[in-house]
Amino acid sequence: MRRTPITLPDLGVARAVLSLWYARVGDRVFAGDRVAEVLIPGATVDVPAPADGVLASQAVLANDPLVAGQMIGEIEAEAGE
Amino acid sequence: MTDRPALHAYLLGRVEFDALLALQRRLAYDVGGDRDGGAVVVCDHPSGITVGREGSRAHIRPEPEELTARGWPVRWVARGGGVLLHLPGQVACYPVLPLDRLNLTPAAYLVELQLLVIDLLAEYELRGVPDPLAPGVRVNGRRVAHVAAAVRGGVTAFGLVLNVDPDLEPFRAVHCDGDPLPMTSLQRESTARVRVAAVRQRLVEAVAARFGFARVSLFHTHPGLAPRPATHASASATR
Repeated sequence: MRRTPITLPDLGVARAVLSLWYARVGDRVFAGDRVAEVLIPGATVDVPAPADGVLASQAVLANDPLVAGQMIGEIEAEAGE
Repeated sequence: MTDRPALHAYLLGRVEFDALLALQRRLAYDVGGDRDGGAVVVCDHPSGITVGREGSRAHIRPEPEELTARGWPVRWVARGGGVLLHLPGQVACYPVLPLDRLNLTPAAYLVELQLLVIDLLAEYELRGVPDPLAPGVRVNGRRVAHVAAAVRGGVTAFGLVLNVDPDLEPFRAVHCDGDPLPMTSLQRESTARVRVAAVRQRLVEAVAARFGFARVSLFHTHPGLAPRPATHASASATR
């Protein structure tokens, strides 16, 4: 099954941390749904799902440091998509 | 599509925090659908404490009983920044803007908010400097403004809170953004008399200018803030 990585966009800072996941592994999401929240000094930023499907993995946990472009999880397309 | 983007400015009075959250969601929905536009809410809040994602209960010195006695409810909110004590005499400025159209990263947006405050302080002949520890602005070493935002679907929420002329003594009980130093205010630092209404108006103009809005529509209310009956009229009639 095809997997699409969820990558951290460029937030303009060298480092961010994962604040929390809004979706659990196995949750069905659509492209654009917020799946995670990232924290930079002074702001929270939602991370959207890049594709329709099921959240297949969470590569990072809350409070893990992140850098732009880092893969934080994966969306797996459902059968028939 | 227009080449003259419009800013919808809501110059409101005292707004309960729950009402503000609902209004922000509504405005973000509108701006998310029309990314040429933007909105800004300028208001103040009843006394109370909000805690952002970087905040901690340890930054609030009073025990729960004292918080109740002071009438300071504590709310945990999904924004950056730490603990903020909201008091009369502050002005909150919450831009609702599409960052992708403005070509700004979230970090760059926070810098713009700080520069906006610094420019405003300069009009009162005060030299504000960005706080190197947490987004905000200091004058003479003390924080005068807090910058704390959220970005949802590429649209901003929350923004900045400026101490215009609040009672500064209560801040001793709360370490705003984790800062143990006393706060200051525009009125305390300025030799001129500071009018809150003028500051509110200037904030709207500053947001429009800094983020490239050619037109400003000015409102003093929003339908979403209208009080709603506890029960529907038809439902109560059947009782």
